[in-house]
Amino acid sequence: MKASSTRRTLITTTAAAGVLALSACGGNVAGGSAESGEAFPSGPVTITVGQDAGGSTDRIARAVAEGMAEDLGVAVPVVNKAGANGALATKEVAAMEADGQNLILLNASLITITPLAVGEDEAVNLDNLDVIAGLSQDDYVLVASPESGFETLADIQESTEELNFGTTGVGTGSQLAQAVLFAQAEIDGTAVPFDSGSPALTAVMGDQVDVATIQLGEALPQIEAGTVTPIVTFAEERPEFLPDTPTAIEEGYEVPVSQYRALAAPKGLPEDVKERLIESVQSVRDSETYQEFNQQNILTPWEVTGEEVVEEWNALAEQYKALVEEYDISLSGE
Amino acid sequence: MDFFDPVLNGFGVVLDPQNLLYCLMGVVIGMLIGVLPGLGPAATIAILLPLTYGIDPVTAIIMLAGIFYGAQYGGTITSVLLRLPGEASSVVTVFDGYVLAKQGKAGTALGIAAIGSFIGGTVAIIGLTFLAPLVASFALDFGPPEYTALALVGILLVATISGGTKIKALIAAAVGLLLATVGRDVFTGAERFTFGNLSLADGIDFVPIAMGLFGIGEILYNLEERHRAVSAPAKVANVWPSRADLRKSSGAIGRGSVLGFFLGILPGGGATISSMVSYAVEKKRAKDPSRFGKGAVEGVAGPETANNAAATSSFIPLLTLGIPANATMAIIFGALLIHGITPGPQLISEDPELFWGVVNSMYIGNILLLILSIPLVGLFVKILRVRAAILAPITALITILGAYTIRNSMFDVLLVVLFGALGYLMKKFGFEPGPLVLAFVLGELLESNLRRSLLVLEGDVSGFLTRPISATLLVIFVLVAVGPMIKSALARRQHDTTRVNADS
Repeated sequence: MKASSTRRTLITTTAAAGVLALSACGGNVAGGSAESGEAFPSGPVTITVGQDAGGSTDRIARAVAEGMAEDLGVAVPVVNKAGANGALATKEVAAMEADGQNLILLNASLITITPLAVGEDEAVNLDNLDVIAGLSQDDYVLVASPESGFETLADIQESTEELNFGTTGVGTGSQLAQAVLFAQAEIDGTAVPFDSGSPALTAVMGDQVDVATIQLGEALPQIEAGTVTPIVTFAEERPEFLPDTPTAIEEGYEVPVSQYRALAAPKGLPEDVKERLIESVQSVRDSETYQEFNQQNILTPWEVTGEEVVEEWNALAEQYKALVEEYDISLSGE
Repeated sequence: MDFFDPVLNGFGVVLDPQNLLYCLMGVVIGMLIGVLPGLGPAATIAILLPLTYGIDPVTAIIMLAGIFYGAQYGGTITSVLLRLPGEASSVVTVFDGYVLAKQGKAGTALGIAAIGSFIGGTVAIIGLTFLAPLVASFALDFGPPEYTALALVGILLVATISGGTKIKALIAAAVGLLLATVGRDVFTGAERFTFGNLSLADGIDFVPIAMGLFGIGEILYNLEERHRAVSAPAKVANVWPSRADLRKSSGAIGRGSVLGFFLGILPGGGATISSMVSYAVEKKRAKDPSRFGKGAVEGVAGPETANNAAATSSFIPLLTLGIPANATMAIIFGALLIHGITPGPQLISEDPELFWGVVNSMYIGNILLLILSIPLVGLFVKILRVRAAILAPITALITILGAYTIRNSMFDVLLVVLFGALGYLMKKFGFEPGPLVLAFVLGELLESNLRRSLLVLEGDVSGFLTRPISATLLVIFVLVAVGPMIKSALARRQHDTTRVNADS
């Protein structure tokens, strides 16, 4: 058993350890040659993910990594460093050398929504990062349990009962979207935070809460099976995966909330390295495998430039902050 | 029979040589990763997922499922031999398993565990085959109040199952509950005991605590013992479970299978609670409960059977409702989506080949695991013949590697060392780490579900009693808590009256 466990250890850690060693020395090499602009990539390009393996952010990172590895001709390992909604990983990568060998997959909510719920010193902003490109958009949908009988937003507004609404956690798009919508539509209710999307969805299916806001990719199988009823989505336009459900905007409410994801590097990337990375991401976007991946994971491509990502996320952060203040919403409980 | 046609076709799918091969690969990988604490089946499946893109969905899921239940077998080995429980559900196995190993009966413990796991797994698959749609809704009936009540029962059991003195067990459990509060509060986002450290924002992981307290703590303690007196190394005999052991365990295995099957259906914590309940039940039923913690075979057989049955039945909510019951199921859910299959109520009718192929592959997988593990038991127990001076550093290395792989962070390695020191001190002062670790696991479940229940019930505590499942669980809680007290009070009274009678 000793022998086999050692071998196993070798197999599973060779990737991680080897990559660490390689990227460390690769970093040095690139540091020296970055100005000459020829040596990129000088070794494996690591994509750090601030979430656990297996979640949607991780799956997106792995799909992008696969395509980039093909294009760059080097290994592109994905390293998961979960913690504090991704703040831990983001701060760590932001402090690394800006040579393009270390990238981070960002969630918009970390920049735009989490700061509304946590202390300022933990909040992450884009100042220390060079955003390379936007990747995709994951929409939120408000679903109701069949027992509640709700089919439209009007049904919920007319309900005289005390409502419970599930969220996927504090400082998430699910919480923000629902809180703002209900404040604007003058719906009273108690927010019940769950640990993530799946328990919140289960609670709606079992009628433990009346409604919940869930990421579309997670909720769609249940919507199709008829175990939960979609009420509205929070996208700016109807997502192609759910064409018959109105958006909150169509219903007359100003709640554009989606989860966006983008690829970024530490600030100060040499121009040529950045260009090479942008080119590489473009090749991923163009590949059929990646397009299929988006389709299967109910992700809408959101293929904008790094500058547009920064602009849009900063604008959203401002907009959310204003909305929260206007309706006197507190994302951190009372 | 209409029902049996797809079931039998499913066997046809499994017996396809390619599927058999992938099933074997899955269970072998699973068993090996189960041996290393830290890198759990969830992370392994996520990493191996891209490799399955090119193969048939049925084949891919058969392999991924094999990794999951294979890991349950592997976890037993380190719990028994090295006192390293890799998962919360194998913590109770350590209590008697490691003692058995020290008595030179590691073969018995591992053999019984393998047989129990096989039977538990198989019973759960049979349950999955015939009852899946019927029992699936059980998972939906469990809302926050039910989980609160279940966690309460679990925490009460912690005090019952610990071997040492009650008061020390309670102190350790209280520390465990306290540790569970570390991290960002999930209801308000407020920081609790994080000292501004982002690495603590998500709380402490189970693995550094269990690895440190059990593994490193034990190593440090043994080192000191060796300095004091050179004790003769325990005689390691390759003892197979005797007929008597098997007879003693058969009841435990039977009860463990049923407990594991039903509790495993519950999303979140089902496997852990089932192993705890099984241990507590065996201890309560035993003629001489004091044997537990000192090498009772039933104390290994019951929980190991239960956690394997639970691992299998956790597929029920995924395959019939589309609800992932734990982190690994969430990744298999993702894997199914990537292969263009939507897990959910329609899966059985829309994709019977996949459903029955995967279910039936588990029969085969369990047989493969039994065939693999029985001969390997002889090999594994040889580890105990390795001198402590060599074995201890290797164990420490496995532990630290395991802690690092959770989220590639040195912070967790530091935690292992800290908890190792704590574990050493606890052992020195007669505190068992078991209650601390179990209370830690249940504390999170209890706190978040209690607060969630109060939100759902609008702060009305009586709501716990008007819901049938939570009310039943609370009645059980009261009976278990107060029962022994009443019993001993009655016994004393009877004693008093007889004495009074005698006096008069």
